[in-house]
Formats: sequence, structure tokens, C-alpha cells
Amino acid sequence: MKKNLSIALGIFLVIIILTVCLLSFIYMPHEPNEMNISQKFLKPGVNSEYILGTDNFGRDILSRIMYGSRNVLLVGIGSVSLGTFIGIILGAIAAINNKLLSAVIMRIMDGLMAFPGILLALMLVTVVGRGIKGSVIAISIFMVPVFSRLVYSMILDTENLLYIKAARSYGSSNLTIFMRHYIPAMLPRLVTQFSSAIGSAVMIETSLSFLGLGIQPPFASWGLMLSESRQFFLNYPYLAVAPGIAIIMTVLGFILIGDGLNDMLIHRRSDDE
Amino acid sequence: MLKYVLNRVKSSLVILLVVSMITFFVLMIIPGNPAQLILGTDATAEAIEDLRIAMGLDRPYYQQYLGWLLDLLKFDLGTSYIYGEAVTSLIIRAIPVTFSIAVFAMLIATITALFFGILSAVKKDSIIDYFSRSIMQLGTAIPSFWIGMVFIVYFGLRLKWFPISGFVPISSSFAGFLKSIALPAIVLAIGETGTLLRIVRSSMLDSLKQDYMDAARIKGLNKWKIYMKYALRGALIAPVTIIGMQFAKLAGGTVVVETIFALPGIGRLVLTAVERRDIVLLQGLVMFITTTVIFITLMVDLLIMTINPRIKSVERGE
Amino acid sequence: MNETVVLKNLHIKDGKNTLVSNTSLTIEKGDIYGLVGESGSGKTLTAKAIINLLPEGLKFTADEINVAGKNILKASQNEVTMYIGKNAGYIPQNTVFFLHPMIKIKNQIADGYVHHMKRSKAEGLKISLQLLDMVGFENPESILNFYPWQLSGGMRQRVNIAMALMNNPAFIIADEPTTALDSTVQKQVMELFKKINGDTGISILLISHDLSLIKHYCLKIGVMYAGQIVESGYSKDIFENPKHPYTQLLIKMMPTMNIKKNEPIPEIKGFVPEKGRDSQGCLFKERCPFAMDVCGISVKEHNDSGHYYRCNLY
Repeated sequence: MKKNLSIALGIFLVIIILTVCLLSFIYMPHEPNEMNISQKFLKPGVNSEYILGTDNFGRDILSRIMYGSRNVLLVGIGSVSLGTFIGIILGAIAAINNKLLSAVIMRIMDGLMAFPGILLALMLVTVVGRGIKGSVIAISIFMVPVFSRLVYSMILDTENLLYIKAARSYGSSNLTIFMRHYIPAMLPRLVTQFSSAIGSAVMIETSLSFLGLGIQPPFASWGLMLSESRQFFLNYPYLAVAPGIAIIMTVLGFILIGDGLNDMLIHRRSDDE
Repeated sequence: MLKYVLNRVKSSLVILLVVSMITFFVLMIIPGNPAQLILGTDATAEAIEDLRIAMGLDRPYYQQYLGWLLDLLKFDLGTSYIYGEAVTSLIIRAIPVTFSIAVFAMLIATITALFFGILSAVKKDSIIDYFSRSIMQLGTAIPSFWIGMVFIVYFGLRLKWFPISGFVPISSSFAGFLKSIALPAIVLAIGETGTLLRIVRSSMLDSLKQDYMDAARIKGLNKWKIYMKYALRGALIAPVTIIGMQFAKLAGGTVVVETIFALPGIGRLVLTAVERRDIVLLQGLVMFITTTVIFITLMVDLLIMTINPRIKSVERGE
Repeated sequence: MNETVVLKNLHIKDGKNTLVSNTSLTIEKGDIYGLVGESGSGKTLTAKAIINLLPEGLKFTADEINVAGKNILKASQNEVTMYIGKNAGYIPQNTVFFLHPMIKIKNQIADGYVHHMKRSKAEGLKISLQLLDMVGFENPESILNFYPWQLSGGMRQRVNIAMALMNNPAFIIADEPTTALDSTVQKQVMELFKKINGDTGISILLISHDLSLIKHYCLKIGVMYAGQIVESGYSKDIFENPKHPYTQLLIKMMPTMNIKKNEPIPEIKGFVPEKGRDSQGCLFKERCPFAMDVCGISVKEHNDSGHYYRCNLY
């Protein structure tokens, strides 16, 4: 009951964010970068044209939040997809192939896992450069060891399952067995991990933008909006409310879905026993 | 047992070696000439080339790597371009700051997570359980920079309870020291408590099902004595591992929090190195941080081996 | 007051599923009472109901549960915990995690004593030394400094026995106390129970699936099947003149020393039913060689001067 509630809440939050993002392609109240100094620092609700108010340049906060959702979701979903893809391939190669290659891949994964928090992302941003491309590459490499380890251990766990042995005895190729048998068997846990990973990716992306290493001004990004609001925050605290809530909703949404799915998986496994 | 220790030490060293390769070669492919960065755009091509050779950047990559590795073993991390100072001494100066906030953050997180985690497990599916888990989950989803900004304005600027930036060394004033790290530590703790609470709760639930709980119950002991002495003792292994990992992560620098609170710690150095593309400084910092993480993880594993007789009894084949 | 334990009409349910029904037993002072049956027959649950140790989620009802002169059904939960902790002991089947693996023996053995007798830990340890000596340890002091995993299964079980005896309880439950031990250690542990019973007059509820063990050590026995006691009384009466077909079959398949090689060991066909234990009929019907139609509807209870059995054959 509670597990379903957490998934339901998660899906609800994610749907809101996705809707906002899709809507931004069709309609935004203002051009997100349009400055209107005469209208600067409007509080939310004062002017019906600027529902969430305006920032220090008189830019419409609602439009910037809507526009920012594109970047957050693009980087979040894009980097995790890329990381998952590479992770699955590396994990599968390590699990199926010979000892040396497997050892090399897995030691590199161990090495990547030893970089705490956003350090790896920071190092990669230094190399690739700031902006969307840098963020996507940095975060996707951050995600690779997570997924390759998962896939690696799941394949080793299922190696002895009867139907896979059977498929091998028919002479199916490694690739066929992988696509037909392993992927479906691994899908539930991959989806679970995928959802939680998007939560972390969004958190990293907003941190990078906040530090000025992600999307560059004047383009809108939630982390950047918070960073820009810092110097005016004492007098205009509302500047930080909308981007903060947007980040929390997005991160929480994906984490809740991941947690709920995870609880369901554990439940299912213990029912099987 | 000795074999286990040696194996753990060996695999830590392998990871460290892998990390050094990743760090060196990733930062090697960076665009831009370090010599140019140092001398600036006004320098002549000749001067840049001379410096490049002087820095050994014309050698093949593997030679540069081996040279760098040898220097690492001598604790020589090179000289920072931007500070013109040895990276080691920059790091040594930053350690107390980062280490203090990491210790206090983990203290706060551990106490909170133990309190609510035990309560949640003992009162499973009650309002308390539901409430504490929800709050903590929310805590993991709140960005530290956001909560940091709120704290600065509310506790720092409005109420003026705490300074909003800078670090007071413990040697100059203990109260000042505590005040200067309180807010950053709390902000960090908010992010770490949720994960820890979840682990405490699930290990407690597991421990509550063990036979020794029957033994404790039949003795007719006070309920909380049973929980604290028997259940908690059996539930500590996983949380200790997580606390170790979290502490290692925080001790490796907390870029965001150190930035918001303008603390001159390791994280602040990392951000400066990234912003100004000081490759030598960044390489040195990354190696220092990953070594710290790997070392703390190793220590925690060994600690757990000594507090967990089960590992030993499994090794004896029981 | 001559009975240490009186249990009347116990029912245990897991949600809607009945696990134990209509179970009554009486253990007299100084007796060793044997409860025998296949696994899943409800022996352990019955014993745990007496000492208030049923797993969470199980609900029980009974007309009376009297332990050492006190009907614990009429006491508050806290009183029961205190009372049972002081007056009863429990010795488990599996010795591995009954003692807390991460706590030294000396830091857990005297907990109950210190709590109930309001004594210092030093006094508790003094008593534990005496008891460890009594259960046959030659060097009790060093045992106290061990972690449980440093002891063998037989040693752990003797520590468990000493721990159960700390408060000088009126009765102890030994739940398959020798199952996990090898046969020479089994014998030592059982002889220890007999000695303790002889020396202190403590009542023992011995649970086992091993009929020969029960026959050898118990004055009175109860045979459990599918959550009911189907036959009970003096051990002598039951072994000489078993009434219930289940008891008869059990006795018939008791392994004897003179089974010839390759001779098939007899077995009772079928399984202990998990469901339908709330039926008014005989639960052994499906496996009984003498089953009649009436057995599905009701079952007659007999009591021949203390020899109780429930069967329609008589």
C-alpha cells in the first residue's frame, strides 16, 4: 500500500515536470531571456503577467523555470541513458568474456567508483568544457560504473539458470542469449536503477550549474538561477523559491519511483522464496 | 585473517593505481597548453616552448606518467600554477577545514539516523515510521546549495546566530570554531541522514528477527534495553560501513557547501583548480581525495572485521 | 499446588489460518514432560505460547495458562514479561544465534538475573560461574570471556542451559535441544537435563521429534499432530498400549538397534496438513489406515484415568 503510494507520488511529480517541459516548446508566457529592467524584482502574484515574479534583470521567472526544465531533463535523462548504455555493454563484456579483459574492465570501474560525489564530474568538465555537452559526458561517465557493476553481477547470478543453459545448448550466440534472455531478466532492476540514477543526475547537473560549470548564462537553468539569486537573496528571497522547489520535485519524483520499484522487487523476491 | 587483510590491502593498492592512471590520462587530453596557461597570452612562442620542455611536457605520455607517479610516492604533488605554491602545502592547510565539517556532519547525521532509524524499526508501519522516513527522503532530495542559502539568510543574516562565511581555527577560539562549522555541517548532514536512516532501519528490522532477540525477550528484560543492547548491536555492521563511506566522501571535500559558506577547504581548492584549469593542482587534489577515500574504506572494512565475529566464524567454516 | 504448568484449550491463529487447536497439557512439579510430533505439528508454538514468546502476528486464545501458580492470562503484558523472565527458561533448538554473536558471554549471561533479582553484575557473574561449573565446564572463568562463536555447538548449548537456570526458574522449555548436536554430545546434554531435574526438582518441557529420546527421559508425554495433542499420558502407558493410530505408527517406526541392513524404514504416507486445522473432525483422517466416514465430522475424546486420546475407534 505504502509502496504504491510512493510510486504514485513519484509518477505524479515526474508527470508535472514532463508536462512543464513539453509545454515550454508550445507556450511560454515570455521569452526566457527577455530583459525588462523596468519590471525587475516583481514579487510573485503582484503582476498577473509575471505569475512567479521577475529577477534582477526583469526576466520572467516562470518562463525561465519552464525553459530550464528542458536542460535539466535533457542532461538528466540523456546522461543516464548514455551511461546505462555504455554500462550495460561493459558489464556484459566483463561478465561473458575471458578473465583478463573482465579484470581490466572491472578494475577501471572500481577506480571510477573511488571518486567521491561530484569530483569525477568536476574533473571531466575541466576536460570536456562547460555547458550541456560537458555536463552530459561528465555525468554519463559517472553513471557507467553503477550500471556495469549491476549488469556484471546480475549476469553472473543468472549464468546458471536453466533456461539460459538450455539456450546455450541449442547453440544460440552470445548476443542472441544476451538480448533474448538476459535483458528481459535484468529489466526490472535496470529500470529501478535508471529512475534513481536520473534523480542523482539531476542533482549533479543542478550542482554543476550552481557552481557555474554547467549551462552558461544567459541561458536558464535551475542551478544557475539559484546561483544568480544568491546576491539578492536577503532582500528578495522569493527568487530562490521556484527553482528550489522545481529541483526538489524533480529529484524526489525520480527517487520515489526508484525506491518504490525497488521495494516491489524486494517484495517479489521474498515472495518467491 | 591475515590473508583477508593482505587481500584487502592489495586490492586497495590496485584501485589506487587505476585511479592514478585515470586521473593522469584524463587530465592529459585536456585542450590548451599548460605552459601557455602559466605564461599568459602575451608570452612569446619561444618562451612557451622553453617552459614546456622544462616541465617535461615534451616527453612521451608514459614517461610523464611514471615520473609523476614517482613524485607521488615521494609525496611531491608538484607546484600549483595559480598559487605558485606546493600543492602539498595547499592541501595541508585546507585539511582541518574540510575534516572538521565532515566530522561534525557525520556526527549529526549518525545521531539523527540512529535515533529515528531505531524508532522506525521498532514502531514499524506506525505514524512515526512513516513520518521520519518521509522527512528523511525529502532531505536527500533537497539540494545542499539551496538549504545552505536559506540557512545563511535565516540563521546568519536575520537571526545572526552564526557567521555566514569563513573558518575559525579551533586553536583561536573553540566557540568560534563551532559556530563557523555548524551551518555547513548541518547542511551536509541533511543530505546524508536519509540514506543512513534507511540502512539503520532495515538492519534493525533484520536484527529484530534473530534468535538472540528471543533469548533477550525470554529473559524478561526491559524493552528498550533489549533494543539498545541486543538488537542494535546486531544491526551495526551495515550502518558502520555506510558511515565510513559517507565520511570518506565528505572528507574528500565538499565543493558546494564550501563554496556557499566561503570555507577555505579542499572542495574550495578543487573548484578553483577546475575554474582556472590548474591541472597540476587538480591532479594532486584528485589523488589526495581518492587516496583518502580508499584508505578510509579500507580502515572501515578492517574495523568491521574486528567487530564482526561472524566473518571470522564463517572463515573457520562453521 | 502441584502443577508447574497448566495449559487449557490453546488455539493459535495466523490470520485466519489455525495453527494449533484444542491443546491442553499439565506439567507437574519435578516432571519431565515430553512433547513429540513431526515438524510443523505445533510443538514449538505451543511451548512459546506458554512463555509469551509467540512470533509477532500470531494470535492465541486459551482458557488458562498457569505457570508456577499464576494465571498469566489475567496479568498485564509487563507483568507477564517480568514474571516469565523470572520463572521460566528457554533452551533453543538452534544454538548458533541464540547467544548474541557480537557480545561476550559474560556480558549477556547474567542480564536476566541482574534485572530480576536486582543484583550487581558481579553477583550475577558469580552465579553464572557456579552454573557453568554445574553444566560441566571445567574452566568457567575463561568461558565467560569468550564470544559465542568461539565455542562448539555442545558448549553453546550448555551455556544456554546455564543461562536458562540463572534465576532458578520453576520450569524450563527445551525445544529440540540436541537436534543440532552430534550424537555423543546429544547424550551428554540429555544426561545434564536429567541431572538438573534430579538435583533441583525443576520441571522440564522437552520438545522432540525423537520418540526414543522422549521414551528414555520423560515420565509423561503428549503426542502432537497438526496442531493438536492426539494422545497423552504416562509414557509407560502410551508405549505399552498406544491407542491413537498415529501414535501406533510412530512407535512402530521408531528406529531400533536391530534394523537389518537394506530393510526399508517404514514411514507414514502423506503430509501433515497445513490447512483445515480448525475442522471438528479428526485431522489424521487422510493418513489413517482405519479412517471411517465419521472421522471427517467429529472425533471422540477418551480419558482412561489420565491416558487421554482422541479417536473414533474406541
